[in-house]
Amino acid sequence: MDERQFGAEITEVPEEIRLRLSGDLNGRADEALASAYAQVAALGPRRVSLDFAHVGYINSTGIALVVRLLAQARRDGRAVRAIGLTEHYREIFRITRLSDFMEIVEGDAA
Amino acid sequence: MTELNVKPPPNHDAATNRDAANWAQPVDRLSAAGVAGATDDAVTGRRVSGPLQGFGQLWQKTFTVRLDGVDISPTDLIALWKERFPTFWPKGQRFYAPLSGIAPGEVALLEIEPLPGAPVRFSTGVLVLYADDESFTFMSPEGHILSAWITFSARRDGDVTVAQAQALERPSDPFDELAYMLGGNRQNDRFWEATLRNLAAAVGVASPAVDTQVVCIDRNRQWRYWRNVRNSATIRSARRTLTAPLRKLTGRG
Repeated sequence: MDERQFGAEITEVPEEIRLRLSGDLNGRADEALASAYAQVAALGPRRVSLDFAHVGYINSTGIALVVRLLAQARRDGRAVRAIGLTEHYREIFRITRLSDFMEIVEGDAA
Repeated sequence: MTELNVKPPPNHDAATNRDAANWAQPVDRLSAAGVAGATDDAVTGRRVSGPLQGFGQLWQKTFTVRLDGVDISPTDLIALWKERFPTFWPKGQRFYAPLSGIAPGEVALLEIEPLPGAPVRFSTGVLVLYADDESFTFMSPEGHILSAWITFSARRDGDVTVAQAQALERPSDPFDELAYMLGGNRQNDRFWEATLRNLAAAVGVASPAVDTQVVCIDRNRQWRYWRNVRNSATIRSARRTLTAPLRKLTGRG
């Protein structure tokens, strides 16, 4: 299986920080995602949007990384929402009950 | 703007569907109909409950063992681990695998002895949330002592295959949190350390050494989940043990 390197790009948009994710979200994304969240936390936004539109593949370890990020954001009093998820991964977020804790925005977010 | 290893994807839709068969299908309530041999089904009718739905502090635990001197690929190791999963558990603990094996969407039942010789065994289970050739993940149901998921995986590190179990877990309710603080946490570590040692020994590692990394991700307790106690496997199992003689007398087994 061809693997694509994970990346995370931080952009500031009105009222939130957006974390634009790309590549494959699996165990090898651990350090990059943790580092990206640390940078987000340093900026102190009230809301973080995780943009999955350019993520190709997420396995269960990758979902666990999202769970960990979500737990850290909740600990910090920060809302998290997911944008750009395909229907398949919106389903996965429902199965894993991640959707109980984060707004899932269908289509392009403003 | 900060950028970390950004690389544009070539084909989003095709990529996102390539793992569809590896994930469990959505279910509102779990069913343990595909399991034989367990004396108690504490899972059927329950929902899954992951680390976000638990009460206690959130912990990430990573257990690894290097299979030095053993010629086995990660995929062969995972195939073996799935096939003989119950045999690697520590003595006294029971894992009733689904009849169709460890596959996405299957439910397994467990009977856990909290301490050696304890009169009460906790009946609970897991959902196989995800499985592929190099990993598989279990998620706990409501009532399980830990609201958790745990991923078992294997990878190459140079010429050596490394087996890993990584859990993300919160005690489910206030009683579970107390038990966890009073020794359950360490007991849980010993459980998975023994499992990895048994796995390594089974493939021929003479003196397996398990590395354990434990990190508290969130020290806060989620008080709004104190009501998880109503589904508690601990309380349910204790009640079943205490009422067993009565059920035997009345033929309600």
